[in-house]
Amino acid sequence: MKTIKLLRHLFVPHASNNYTPRLFHFQSLLIITTVLIGAQFLLRFGAGYSGSVLGYASNISTSEVITLTNQKRSEVGVGQLVYSDVLSEAARLKGENMIANNYWSHVGPDGTEPWDFFANVGYSYRYAGENLARDFSNPVSAVNAWMASPSHRDNMLSDKYKEIGVAVVEGTLDGVDTTIIVQLFGTPSEAPAVVPVVAAAQEQTSSEDFIPSANAQEPDTVDDQTEARKPIEINTTPLVSPFSASKYIALFVVSILSIVLVIDVIEIERRGITRPAGRRFAHLSFLITLIIILIIARAGEII
Amino acid sequence: MKHSFKHFSHYLPLVGMLFFTALAFTQFYYEKTLLIAVSFAVSIAYVVWGAIHHTIHKDITVKILSEYIFVALIGLIMLLSVVFWM
Repeated sequence: MKTIKLLRHLFVPHASNNYTPRLFHFQSLLIITTVLIGAQFLLRFGAGYSGSVLGYASNISTSEVITLTNQKRSEVGVGQLVYSDVLSEAARLKGENMIANNYWSHVGPDGTEPWDFFANVGYSYRYAGENLARDFSNPVSAVNAWMASPSHRDNMLSDKYKEIGVAVVEGTLDGVDTTIIVQLFGTPSEAPAVVPVVAAAQEQTSSEDFIPSANAQEPDTVDDQTEARKPIEINTTPLVSPFSASKYIALFVVSILSIVLVIDVIEIERRGITRPAGRRFAHLSFLITLIIILIIARAGEII
Repeated sequence: MKHSFKHFSHYLPLVGMLFFTALAFTQFYYEKTLLIAVSFAVSIAYVVWGAIHHTIHKDITVKILSEYIFVALIGLIMLLSVVFWM
């Protein structure tokens, strides 16, 4: 009985709440605002977010991606990666190949593998890896997304890599303007017989979900290069994406407020109550627009 | 609600403003600066619309205005929280 009274007090215009649902009172709206801000602080600290950088897709600088990657490596005590012109050229070729052949994957529709681009530029490797990202508006978000995915994180923090090359390629994928970031890692081979391969997940992973699909572990020595290129099945650990968390918290709150408004409109009409209040149609329009935006909102993707 | 249909023309600017906000989020989802600007603009415009609308109807009060401010503020926080993580 108490629960029903409480729900009525919160959701239904009634004498107990001065004919305005309690959730739409000044104090309740203030609490909701504070909770939303608090949730963002928690997410930011929880995800180790180091501040947002605003920018345009075309402003992504390859040197910043490299700097950020080396920063992450420093934080865990791994040696710095050295910039490689050759790897950057391979990264550029890979990005352009994706645009030209309209695919978003580590392996091309014709079976072209990431390692083929290493070979095309004459980079003979002992270890090699590839991270891909698209549609991020700034390098910080892309690097954070990679860091949130265990397989990509492993690539970024692996002490087996000595060199890095990055390319930012713009074009159209499936008719949508896209900015692709290709990040290649490598260690030049000293002994040609040893060719282990490390790849980021070959299954598409959205940064909205941050669900890693693979986490390749390279063998120390492999006699046969083809054997080394076989994907290795690894356990996956789902992580919470700050983007998804923000989106679902917002959707939850805005849906509750919309329900309150709909009940309010029905009850006020039914009972013929007159009271000073904001226009319900206006509030509902605003909240429904928010719901639509929250549903369609998308972040960049990593694979 | 009856009021809304009676004064439909008053709501056209509001509906238009909200439509273009949604459009900006679908078309320019990769341009954070623009989305942040749109989020602030639509929130401020919403409060301004409420103030003008209730002033025309001669029923504006601090309570009503604060309702618009809080709805706009909640909307702004939600939009920014999503945009910052994109």
